[in-house]
Amino acid sequence: MKTKQPVVFEIGWNACIKCGACVAVCPQEAGFTTDFDTIAVNKPCDIACMFCEAVCPVSTITHTMFVPAVSGKA
Amino acid sequence: MPDNTGTAIMQEYDMVVIGSGPAGATTALYAAKNGLRVLLVDKKQELGAPIQCSGAVSHNALEQAGVYPSPEFIQEAIYGFAIYNAAGEKKVIDYRKIKPGEYGSGEGCKPLGYVVDRRRFDRYLATQAERAGVTIWLKTEASGYRVLNNGSCEVDLCKFNEHITVKAKVVVGADGVQSQVGKWAGIKTHIKLSELASCLQFVVDGVATDGLLEIVTGHEWAPGGYAWVFPKGHGYAEIGLGITKTMCTQNAQVYLDHFLKNSFFKERFRNCRIIEIQGGGVPLAAPLKTQYADNLILVGDAARHVNSITGGGIHTALSSGKIAGEFLSALILSGKSATESNLKGYHDNWLKAMGNNMWKLYRVKRKIFDTADVIERDEQLYATMSNYFSPESEYKKI
Repeated sequence: MKTKQPVVFEIGWNACIKCGACVAVCPQEAGFTTDFDTIAVNKPCDIACMFCEAVCPVSTITHTMFVPAVSGKA
Repeated sequence: MPDNTGTAIMQEYDMVVIGSGPAGATTALYAAKNGLRVLLVDKKQELGAPIQCSGAVSHNALEQAGVYPSPEFIQEAIYGFAIYNAAGEKKVIDYRKIKPGEYGSGEGCKPLGYVVDRRRFDRYLATQAERAGVTIWLKTEASGYRVLNNGSCEVDLCKFNEHITVKAKVVVGADGVQSQVGKWAGIKTHIKLSELASCLQFVVDGVATDGLLEIVTGHEWAPGGYAWVFPKGHGYAEIGLGITKTMCTQNAQVYLDHFLKNSFFKERFRNCRIIEIQGGGVPLAAPLKTQYADNLILVGDAARHVNSITGGGIHTALSSGKIAGEFLSALILSGKSATESNLKGYHDNWLKAMGNNMWKLYRVKRKIFDTADVIERDEQLYATMSNYFSPESEYKKI
């Protein structure tokens, strides 16, 4: 499902097979990754195309809407 | 290393190759053989793992790249194919029967191809490179490169937590389907969702095979791809499939489960026991239109050097590695800089040797999967696969 709001991805590491398909399909700049060959989980994704979730062979990527810190201007 | 004044001297190579898979190791091997000083880095501790590949490669592909078919990495010899349509009707293309004097296990005969263990295969190729003089650093991740104004560049590496910058004349991005190296240079490397097959396979015990690569077509089993049963040696088999997520709603795991439990092979698979689980993204995509930038080229999966009909990428990786290694060594030894315009020659050589044919295959694949009617599309894929592996195929050498 496509959403326009930034999201933060979460990987269910138990099911992840470290295949890198999520990174391959990701239109982000270089470095939007973790040390385990997945898309980044520690920063918001403002593209939110959800291709990574779709391509994952074991459907182990989920997301939450990004909520900026209350005090910041974001 | 520190000199006697305590300052670090920057290490210098002609070429830094990032990623030691079949493409990277072969590029490094041919560059070193021709006299370049090569550093080959890989961020992993164990090459080839986690496995993202079925391991099928033709004898011809190994021969062309000068790779001896060693028992170190071969799991099983292959003699042909069986292509199935969605209902289970099949076309068997067994080269033991088509060309009995040439292909077989007997004396004077050779296999058509092999299923290799990618852990052992990648290690073997790295060893060949190392023996040709390549320096190999494992547990070494590359994070960026800078073009210098003297025609060379610097590459930032991190080896066992130590930050090291090395100087090089050219960088080779062989960092696979999830390539980051191309992005450093602004090359658009990400693959469309409609062109990245989502693949999953099980290595199983308890499923008999007969020296054939079995390919099951049909939207029912693998929309936008195919399912396979490959011999894996020592009585094992691998059962897997790849799907295109823009052509279905479920994931690869659901389709593989469906294939195991409900296909015309369900009796054959009834007692199979899963020994390993592997998966990956396979680009059934057009090769990158630009595979080079200043001081940088891409090879293998990173450049989308994958056969978009079969999803095979070992042959194309070995071939592009050889082309890249030979081209870059000739360029650098001639004293020329690896500028973007000078590196175009690599791309041209690659197009001539295999790229133009890969583009043709990509168009065939597009035509099939763009067919809206499922029955018609299934028929086209079954016919194309059956023709592709036949002795008359015009694409046999890709």
